Amino acid sequence: MEAAPGTAAAAAKPAKSCKKYRMGKRHANIYTYQEPPHSNSDEDISEEKADSQDPEQVFQNIQYQKEVMSNIRCRPWPMRQKLRVLRQAKEIVLKYEGRLTRTRGYQAAGAELWRKFLRLAYNFVVLFIPWEMRIKKIESHFGSGVASYFIFLRWLFGINIVLTIMTGAFVVLPELLAGAPFGSTVSKTIRQEDLKTAQDLDTIWSLGGYLQYSVLFYGYYGSDRKIGKAGYRLPLAYFLVGMAVFAYSFIILLKKMAKNSRMSLASASDENYTFCWRLFCAWDYLIGNPEAAESKAAAIVNSIREAILEEQEKKKSKNLAVTISLRIIANILVLLSLTGSIYIIYFVVDRSQKLENNKRELTLWEKNEVSVVVSLITMIAPSAFELVAALEMYHPRTTLRFQLARVLVLYLGNLYSLIIALLDKVNSMSVTNSIYSIYQVSNNSTPSSATGTPAKEDTLSATISDAQMNSSESHAQSLPTAGSLVNNTASSNSAQNQCWETYVGQEMLKLSIIDMIFTVASILLIDFFRGLCVRYLSDCWCWDLESKFPEYGEFKIAENVLHLVYNQGMIWMGAFFSPCLPAFNVLKLIGLMYLRSWAVLTCNVPHQQVFRASRSNNFYLAMLLFMLFLCMLPTIFAIARYKPSLSCGPFSGQEKIYDIVSETIQNDFPAWFNSVIAYISSPVVVLPALLLLFMLIYYLQSIARSLKFTNNQLRMKIQAERTEDKKKVVQMAVGQNLVDIPDDQIMSDFTQNSEGTRFQSLDGSDKRPDKDGGLISQESSVRASTPRKNGSVLNFESPVSKGTRIQTISQTVPHAVPSTDVARPVNTTPTTSASLTPAPSVSSAQKPRNDHTTNRYPSVVHGSASELCKTKPYTPVTFKKRIGDVHSEPLFRKSIRQVNPDAFGAGAPVFVGRRPHATRYFIVNENEPRKKSARSTSRLQRQFRIEEPEDIVELYPCNVRRYVVQTPQCMYSPHPSEDEEDEEALGRHYVKRSHRPRSLSDLRPAPRFYIGDRADGHVLTSKVHYKSWDDGFELDLDRPPYAYKKVHLKNVEADQHYLEPQVKPKTKHMLEQSLTESDSVSIESSSDPQNSSNDQYIQVIHSKEKYLKPGTKLTKKKSNTNIELNMSEPNELVCSNV
Amino acid sequence: MGGSSSLLPQEALGEYQANPFQHRICHVFSTSEDGDDSMSFEDFLDMLSVFSDAATSDIKSRYAFRIFDFDDDGVLDGKDLEKLVNCLTGQGEEARLSSIEMEQLIRNVLEESDIDKDGTINLSEFQHVISRSPDFVSSFKIVL
Repeated sequence: MEAAPGTAAAAAKPAKSCKKYRMGKRHANIYTYQEPPHSNSDEDISEEKADSQDPEQVFQNIQYQKEVMSNIRCRPWPMRQKLRVLRQAKEIVLKYEGRLTRTRGYQAAGAELWRKFLRLAYNFVVLFIPWEMRIKKIESHFGSGVASYFIFLRWLFGINIVLTIMTGAFVVLPELLAGAPFGSTVSKTIRQEDLKTAQDLDTIWSLGGYLQYSVLFYGYYGSDRKIGKAGYRLPLAYFLVGMAVFAYSFIILLKKMAKNSRMSLASASDENYTFCWRLFCAWDYLIGNPEAAESKAAAIVNSIREAILEEQEKKKSKNLAVTISLRIIANILVLLSLTGSIYIIYFVVDRSQKLENNKRELTLWEKNEVSVVVSLITMIAPSAFELVAALEMYHPRTTLRFQLARVLVLYLGNLYSLIIALLDKVNSMSVTNSIYSIYQVSNNSTPSSATGTPAKEDTLSATISDAQMNSSESHAQSLPTAGSLVNNTASSNSAQNQCWETYVGQEMLKLSIIDMIFTVASILLIDFFRGLCVRYLSDCWCWDLESKFPEYGEFKIAENVLHLVYNQGMIWMGAFFSPCLPAFNVLKLIGLMYLRSWAVLTCNVPHQQVFRASRSNNFYLAMLLFMLFLCMLPTIFAIARYKPSLSCGPFSGQEKIYDIVSETIQNDFPAWFNSVIAYISSPVVVLPALLLLFMLIYYLQSIARSLKFTNNQLRMKIQAERTEDKKKVVQMAVGQNLVDIPDDQIMSDFTQNSEGTRFQSLDGSDKRPDKDGGLISQESSVRASTPRKNGSVLNFESPVSKGTRIQTISQTVPHAVPSTDVARPVNTTPTTSASLTPAPSVSSAQKPRNDHTTNRYPSVVHGSASELCKTKPYTPVTFKKRIGDVHSEPLFRKSIRQVNPDAFGAGAPVFVGRRPHATRYFIVNENEPRKKSARSTSRLQRQFRIEEPEDIVELYPCNVRRYVVQTPQCMYSPHPSEDEEDEEALGRHYVKRSHRPRSLSDLRPAPRFYIGDRADGHVLTSKVHYKSWDDGFELDLDRPPYAYKKVHLKNVEADQHYLEPQVKPKTKHMLEQSLTESDSVSIESSSDPQNSSNDQYIQVIHSKEKYLKPGTKLTKKKSNTNIELNMSEPNELVCSNV
Repeated sequence: MGGSSSLLPQEALGEYQANPFQHRICHVFSTSEDGDDSMSFEDFLDMLSVFSDAATSDIKSRYAFRIFDFDDDGVLDGKDLEKLVNCLTGQGEEARLSSIEMEQLIRNVLEESDIDKDGTINLSEFQHVISRSPDFVSSFKIVL
């Protein structure tokens, strides 16, 4: 079993695994043709295991391999490795699966075939997604922002298709097929006086003539309750479809929004990384067009500058008077233009109405002025707002927001003023209708119409209320006055043909058409011709057209989206009165799609101020929802408020449009249903139901609130824990490098120790302090920790065995152990020098050493002499070199001691809080072994340096370590010994070599898949090495260690960063390896995005524990001969912890 | 394995000449021995799979990190960030940030993202930041 921890992560994501695997598999198949299909789905393994030699194991193995296969895509490995692993896993599965059952093989083959088929089908279906390629192309040129507009457009297109189908299938088609044919009834015939102009272009243009009497508009639909042989209830269907249009739009919008918000839920809104996002997420990798890239770069620069400015602004308070006054002025201007536009629209509608009343023949302009004016306003006003916004000096994001809000208000204002004006007109029409009806039926039916009319008073204009007054008086006083009035007002159109619903529908359709024309015109003029001019005239112009004034047209995503929303709003507003409006909109959207995409690709540059609206953004949809709601209101109002036209439409003759429902229920349903409905609609049921609803709403809302609250709390908790964890890991990492143990107990232990040691050191070496000042005191304290081996070691031993957290500290043992190993085996075991003989009592062994230290420091020569007598026994050959070393040593040390504080001062910001302390401690710590051999000291130093940064970056020990090796080494380059320099060179060489070609992804997997072998191999190698060490140390002292190292390097990539090649003990090697393995394993497992850092850290700890044990065991095994070694380990532990 | 003989030179991706990180992308995905950042077919596959729609944000951010890590040392330090900004802003005189701005920017970035306060951004910190970004995943992809 390889890399067991990886399976945990693998199991965590079953959902994605299938799809991912499929992809991975396809890649793989490119290479592995020879492999027949086999099972890889997890589901069908759940059966019982077959009887092979060890079915359980085989089964598990297969399952594991399958997990590997299914998750291979989530691994950040290079393709080659993925392929290798995949193939390996497949082979294993293939080999063993047959043993389990035979039938499963067929099953698997079937599943594989099915999967392939699905994939093929999917590929096929993709071909039919409209404009997929076009959008992809735009996406690849202009980035996801621009593409989002087109995706939104396509989505709207989809909605309109559904709406079209609904109205087409249930209203238009039945009417066409089964309804009364054209000309059969009054409402379906063109009036005689209009007939001669019915085919004129301008009549058709204003949707009159034949168009007016067609399925396009409400008025054409017959009012027969049932049509055709099957008795299709057209009026009911008309009403229901009209409502269903809104209902469907609402549902689909809300569904989409819910989906989006679910998707974007992950990104917590309260966390804000303005700068990071602007830097790291700024570039849109989809952009391939150089011009787009340029403007994107400009946008990025802007946003970065803006962020910096903002940050600077935050710091200083500024004089706001000017800007505030400017903003007030700007807002006043905007308000003025809004009210102006609303007034103009109202005025125009009013004028057209008057014109219609007074003039018989209307010019083309007069017929279309309403929609033209509205479209003009919608085109011009946004630019005006933009100009005004320049006054305000908000920063661009706010500007954009303001701009959008204003444009939205403008659009809504336009639509509303239009519809209100239209309804006004409708009012007057229906009044004339009612008057007409009064006139017609004389006094008989007046009460009903009179009761109807007074309710309208609030919305009626003065003239109409006049008329109304007259009408209400008419039946009481004199008919002739009413008659003359009617003749006056309804002179132009005979009241019989007045059909306000058709009129509203006509206006909406006209508006939509004119809007389309204006859009096309603006695209052509503003974008295309401008682009042409700029491109071809700029050569012969006096300034650079491309970069100065006209430039190229920008593609303003936000404005364009708003325009789409506005357009859709028109559709919703008019759909009830003109059932073919959605169909028309479908055509319009298709045209817009092609035209826009063409314009974008040929003559637009993306907006500098990129509006960040990714697909998961609900902004567009929220606007659309808002629009839908507001557009639904007038329609609902009209339906609920006005009496349908008497002479046209499916609801003619009814008091209210919605009466059709109750009428149908009354007439066409059985009696019991009627009574049930009557019950349900009675206040007895309705009021409690309403109450219940309110209660429910309140309840749900309070639940939502509490959920939100807990949500927030949980998020806070996660945040806190996350930071806590991070800190912990950092501390742990640092702890490995002798710093910051989270445990208070140990810290206190430690401080006690250091206190104690300081005293001792003062006893031991009195002369030292004057040498190096402040640093020395610390140094000496730790140096003195050598003599204190007994005490401190024991102190630490006990906590080590105690708990998990302490275990993590004990990890430092492996790091430290080798150093002592280095020092000790070299010195002690072969020489049998008096001071270091493996003595049962440790204290006795230490005292001499303590003496050594005290003796050694006062004079350089003496130190070197002591060094000499130690090194002498083993290395006669390298003797001279050693002497050189040793001689240089004091120099070196001096320099180091002076350099170190500086060096670490410089490096200090790199380390967390207590770091500098720690480093100093371990410098001293190195001093201790130095007493024994200058060489090992220097090496140790390096070693520590090397290890130390490793853990700052807790996640890639390998890379980072490797990197940081370089700088400290440079620091020590003053060291004169060529040996050292050689080492350095070699080290650097390795560093460089191992550095580039394989980085993160390469390194991690390597340990992962060889854990088993490696551990064994290591035990072996370490033993062997150790022996060789004992036997011929001379060899080791000469260059041979490099050879050793090389072997290791070759074997295990991950080891390359342990570059202190010379006296490096194998135990250390192995242990560290295991550590890195565990690290990497934890990284592997954490590659699951869902696995937060939490798990990952926990795993780090666990795995380290796991790996630690064999390590310590090994060291014990090795140290069988001398107890000293064992003892020195804990000693080093102390030091390292320090 | 096949295909390794056909190497894709760095300039071959004509469509993506506009990308300021083109060299970095080639470098990160290249496994070429002689360091010319050319890509074998597998490397290319690798790249496309990372930049595809189906790749998880974890993988994407991991590779984004490597792309931004200009000196390949496994952490984003000040110099990396500076290079990154220069890449983004391009070489134009007015586009480049002044040294003061740069300093401020880098300081702010580190302030936001450097959780352990070691002066550099490591992978986990980077991923933490990236995972919060609403539109990283949608923009970190390549459509050929």
